[in-house]
Amino acid sequence: MTIDPSWYLTLAAVLFTIGAVGMLVRRNILVMFMCIELMLNAANLTFVTFSRSLNDVGGQISVFFVLVVAAAEVVVGLAIIVAIYRRRIGATADDQHLLKG
Amino acid sequence: MGSLTSYLPIFVLFILGFLFAALSIVASKLLAPKRPTTAKEAPYECGIVPTYELPQRFPVRFYLVAMIFVIFDIEVIFLFPWAVVYNSLGTFGLVEIIVFSLAVFFSFIYLIANGALDWGPIKVQRPASESAPRTTSSTVRRVSSNNEAA
Amino acid sequence: MLATTIILPTINYTAILPELIMLGGMLVLLGLVAVIPRDFSTKTYAGLTQVIGTASLVSSLVLWHDVAAHGAFQAVAQAVDVDGFSVFFLVLVSAILIVAPAFAADYLHDEGIEGAEYFILALIAGAGAMLMGAANDLILVFLALEILSIPLYVIAGLNARRATSGEASMKYFLLGAFSSAIFVYGIALTYGATGSTNLADIAAFLSRNVIATPGTLYAGAALLLVGFAFKIAAVPFHMWSPDVYEGSPDGVVGFMAAIAKVGGFAAFLRVFVSALPTLSSIWEPVVWVLCALSLIAGAVIALSQRNIKRMLAYSSINHAGFILMGLIALSSRGVASSLYYLFAYSFIVLASFGIVTVVAKANSGSAEIDAFRGLGRRSPVLAVFFAIFLLAQAGAPFTTGFLAKFYVVSAAVAAHSYAIAVIAMLSAAVAVFFYLRVVLVMFSGSETEDAVGTPEQHPIVLSRWVWSGIMACAAATVIFGIYPLPLINFARAATLLFR
Repeated sequence: MTIDPSWYLTLAAVLFTIGAVGMLVRRNILVMFMCIELMLNAANLTFVTFSRSLNDVGGQISVFFVLVVAAAEVVVGLAIIVAIYRRRIGATADDQHLLKG
Repeated sequence: MGSLTSYLPIFVLFILGFLFAALSIVASKLLAPKRPTTAKEAPYECGIVPTYELPQRFPVRFYLVAMIFVIFDIEVIFLFPWAVVYNSLGTFGLVEIIVFSLAVFFSFIYLIANGALDWGPIKVQRPASESAPRTTSSTVRRVSSNNEAA
Repeated sequence: MLATTIILPTINYTAILPELIMLGGMLVLLGLVAVIPRDFSTKTYAGLTQVIGTASLVSSLVLWHDVAAHGAFQAVAQAVDVDGFSVFFLVLVSAILIVAPAFAADYLHDEGIEGAEYFILALIAGAGAMLMGAANDLILVFLALEILSIPLYVIAGLNARRATSGEASMKYFLLGAFSSAIFVYGIALTYGATGSTNLADIAAFLSRNVIATPGTLYAGAALLLVGFAFKIAAVPFHMWSPDVYEGSPDGVVGFMAAIAKVGGFAAFLRVFVSALPTLSSIWEPVVWVLCALSLIAGAVIALSQRNIKRMLAYSSINHAGFILMGLIALSSRGVASSLYYLFAYSFIVLASFGIVTVVAKANSGSAEIDAFRGLGRRSPVLAVFFAIFLLAQAGAPFTTGFLAKFYVVSAAVAAHSYAIAVIAMLSAAVAVFFYLRVVLVMFSGSETEDAVGTPEQHPIVLSRWVWSGIMACAAATVIFGIYPLPLINFARAATLLFR
């Protein structure tokens, strides 16, 4: 049985949707982080799949950059969380209500 | 390529691992004697009865080191491809990678200079009250300023 | 060993010199902070940042001369475009980085945020914004977007002593990272549909081929659009911006607002005009809706704001709607008017937030509109300058604000987009109310309110830094408002060389 590229693309789309929905419904900041990671990795999977089916190395190189950016984002996000934790306990987005909106 | 059979060993291993974990948990549930008392269920604190809920927090320092690790770890992603084709890249590649490394190195120096990697007891960054005599009030103030800095 | 030979790209370093100056200057500051035993004052770092900005401005102008003489070219393996469009943004971002430190230096010092961190982050963000305008490859656009955004998340949370600052930073980060993830998935889908991430290659592919099942491409383009709409805070993707503007440290909000809009629009315009022009019949209606919603919602919600930072945030959303009109016109004239608008907006918003900073500081940190009551009596000159910037935003004649609005509306009319032109003029009329309200509050009603325990009415003392910033912005706003020819020619040339 061979695996068609569309399987990978579908998996990536499902992962991306899970991440996006999770981002919108979950309220724990760390879980929201993980959702963002899930979305970025869905994009990576899409890149690699297209790179394979187009026989073009550009997509794989893109994955490198996305990975690095994802790491940088996580670090900055964690730093922001740590800075907030130091001021108060609890890490849910609903606790962040000083600013309306 | 693209055949599912090549994934079979991994799949089998996955099943085995899952079964082993499930069996261990179930067996321990079934076989182990259970006689819970309040003393047993209390958090372990060297035999002293806990008086308040533990603040379940790691020192910020751990997060800091973890974050720095992640960044410097991921930088290697650019060094590996360069190392693989080092010979055919020649001087151009060497110069580029030196520039890249310099950028990373500068941020490393910044981290060291800011004391991000100092381990051991937390030091107060600014000299809080070196000359002032240590009275109760000054100590209290230093502790609170310490908390702000940490 | 590998038998294949690698074709080494020739890298024309002069083509990316302004970006390199920004990043090199940033590294110098970083090393300086690390090595010197005791930090210099923020004013020293602000001065150094201005020097770096000036150096990059000079090299941008040299590059402009090159482009004017020899035409546009591409560099760094076709990933970077050097044309009038990119040079326009190089010049604009350099200018922002010269002006912005003037507003931040005193504020950071007074708030106890010593050190060079803000200036280092600002330089990184500046380099990102420059690359947004120059990028000719979607992956580079993504990298530039992140180079621009990540420092801004940190800048929003710079004031660690205020809870609102951390909260603003958190919100900005979560929504920014969310939009980045959407954006990068859009890039992946576009890459899959067209086989390249290079903007010119994408455009060439789309003009040569008819795609049988365009679903992937449409989805990719839609996700790219959503990603950009988040960055420029177009309604309905604007939720973060009022909170972030209100919570962020006062002295740096102007910079954040200007640089994020400039960078976001730079890449937005280039990607949609130069890579996806063949799809314009698909994306133009969507942009039309975004534009109309931003125009209406920005103006209407701003009416009900009591906090002046929130009011300015909603007025920025309104401005984003105006700038989008240039894209709807689908003409080089439209893009030129967008560029002119961006230039005008950057300096007006820098100065407006700069003045809000000093007034809020004199009123114990309150940025409510009531804090401006009687400012005309208290510090007449400052009030007059603030009135100029507010009226410029409202579109008063003899300012860049008027001409900017005039150019985008006339570009839309020339493209027969009458409906959006009417919406724009109505929203401008609504917007006049909330700008004028602040002006009226400043110049009236101080003696009636005096009875109800007002703060002492001594004049607000401004440092030379803030004055120099205000004067520079006022000069840019008024001089180019009365004599706009050089600027509009610059913007037109920028789009003439725009493929």
